[in-house]
Amino acid sequence: MTAMLLHTSGALVTLLIALIAGVAIGETHIDPTVVFQVLANKLWAAGYALDPIDEGIVWNYRLTRALVAAACGAGLATCGVILQSLLRNPLADPYLLGISAGASTGAVLVALLGLGAGAISMSVGAFAGAVVAFAVVVLLGRASGVPGATGQIILAGIAGSQLFNALTAFLITKSASSEQARGIMFWLLGNLSGVRWPSVWLAVPVALAGLAVCLWHRRALDAFTFGADSAASLGIAVRPVQLLLISCAALVTAVMVSIVGSIGFVGLVIPHAARLLLGTGHARLLPASALGGAVFLIAADVLSRTLIKGQVIPVGVVTALVGAPVFALILVGRRHAR
Amino acid sequence: MLLPRVVALATGLGLCSVAQAAPTQYPLTLQNCGSTQTFAHAPARAVTIGQAGTEMLFALGLGDKLVGTSLWFNDVLPQYQAQNAGIERLADNEPSFESVIGKRPELVAVELEWVVGPQGVVATREQFDELKIATYLMPSDCESKDNLVGADGTRLAPFRIDSIYQSITQLAQIFDVQERAQQLNAQLQASLAKSVATVQNKDLKDTSALVWFSSASLDIDPYVAGHKGIPDFMLNTLGVRNVVESDEEWPSVGWETIAKANPTFLVIARMDRRRFPADDYQKKLKFLRSDPVTRNMDAVKHNRIIVLDAMALQASVRMFEGLETLATALNSYDLAQ
Repeated sequence: MTAMLLHTSGALVTLLIALIAGVAIGETHIDPTVVFQVLANKLWAAGYALDPIDEGIVWNYRLTRALVAAACGAGLATCGVILQSLLRNPLADPYLLGISAGASTGAVLVALLGLGAGAISMSVGAFAGAVVAFAVVVLLGRASGVPGATGQIILAGIAGSQLFNALTAFLITKSASSEQARGIMFWLLGNLSGVRWPSVWLAVPVALAGLAVCLWHRRALDAFTFGADSAASLGIAVRPVQLLLISCAALVTAVMVSIVGSIGFVGLVIPHAARLLLGTGHARLLPASALGGAVFLIAADVLSRTLIKGQVIPVGVVTALVGAPVFALILVGRRHAR
Repeated sequence: MLLPRVVALATGLGLCSVAQAAPTQYPLTLQNCGSTQTFAHAPARAVTIGQAGTEMLFALGLGDKLVGTSLWFNDVLPQYQAQNAGIERLADNEPSFESVIGKRPELVAVELEWVVGPQGVVATREQFDELKIATYLMPSDCESKDNLVGADGTRLAPFRIDSIYQSITQLAQIFDVQERAQQLNAQLQASLAKSVATVQNKDLKDTSALVWFSSASLDIDPYVAGHKGIPDFMLNTLGVRNVVESDEEWPSVGWETIAKANPTFLVIARMDRRRFPADDYQKKLKFLRSDPVTRNMDAVKHNRIIVLDAMALQASVRMFEGLETLATALNSYDLAQ
């Protein structure tokens, strides 16, 4: 019990440090004292007299950005864990089920064809597209699948992704100038620059809810690691639980994609890293992955804003650029430890 | 600080307008943006890709030679409205290659290299060469500019106003109407001098600005005018510093960086294009006044926001009009605040 308490508090402190780093480091230099004064002003009404621009940057730009990065990182890593365990496929990631492809189609429909006549934003379009794509994939997987077989849904996901990617390409070729396409691609590649408080109120609860649902089913997930048959023999209602968890992953991913675009690598690699370090028990694996994803994405976002002065690198580039070598080190390190 | 610049401009212009006074001798061979173009006679049919070229031809009195236009950013200037109504608009954005050659043009005048150039989305210049269709690319977009780097190209050296006068002179030469080019260039030079004179007695030391074109989504990093491009030239001409330091033509820069730079005034673009919400200048204004950070910027607090047509921020005859608007607005500001 004490060990668990120790781990939990350690995890929270790590997350807090990452958040503070995310708030303190940005495109421009703001003195750390000012940063803490802003936080004190906002959290405890400390009443320091500060430049409203500094205050706005720290509270409305940087803190929201760090919180959304944390929520997205946690959400995507959790989804990665679920899908890898349920589908028993190490290559499964949150975008496997056609979600990012569907999101781009939805966003493109809104941006290029003016679907919704300006009343709905690209984010809403992306979310709707993601859900539609996921529904198509699930229906296809059901229509073709033997109950409990996981290969079918992966193939359905690949087919769905290809279909929606082709639709996006078709729409862009048909109606977008290259400049337009650039604007959309910029958005789709993952971008944390536009997040404000409303995004926080959406992303954080969704990430926490997703994590809670998965933790509730941690024993089922443990069982699924050994295959659907073993899960069934342990008395788990295979299909309903499978559908619930996959839908949960899809919804969380769709929300994240609609807020920040599709940021790669986090959902694929963080779960593996956590598994290598902590083993496969989901009671530990899930919170550890969520924490790892959150800290990793905050760090990647800080790097994306500071690696080149005066320029922001797409965060997806940084996650892969920094994440891949780190993951390689973990892989090699584990081999030597054995 | 301004005077030497004005003198340099004036001499530069003087040279380029006197040089081409004689009537055109056909066949005319022109070096244009790394390609050699030959004209056996004055073209009878021209297609334009890019509004700058379209309006330049109208201004040269060559509207009757136009058989197709494309790539529009704003409505055509009112004085050319009637004439423009009779000319087919091949596309609002970039036209397809076949719709251009289908007009059997003898000249295709192109504003931007990403449309017709080494990686042109409409075609490469070689594709037109093969069909014996002459192309003319505005020097303003190829001179000292790498269009393969950055979203809208990257400037290797600052934009030169002479490149606009040069395209007017060369287009006139192709059509053998040099006198009109001299008149037009003289008018534009006078307009430029007028703008400079407007702010002559204004102390613009430490004055800075940001030019916001659009954003892919309202809250995210906006597309703003880069350090060596055309809007930057406009600001420099009036003695104002651009807060953006990137050499890309239209880089995206974070609001945090912009707010910290705290420019004296803002220029926002008005356009008819509606591909992003921020294309609407009213939405730009609304964002600036409601965002918790930008609403505290000096320019927004003191309402120093100038709305300019998108075409006035490009290498076009309308840039001069934009410069006058800018100078007048700047002159009216009480910068002691």
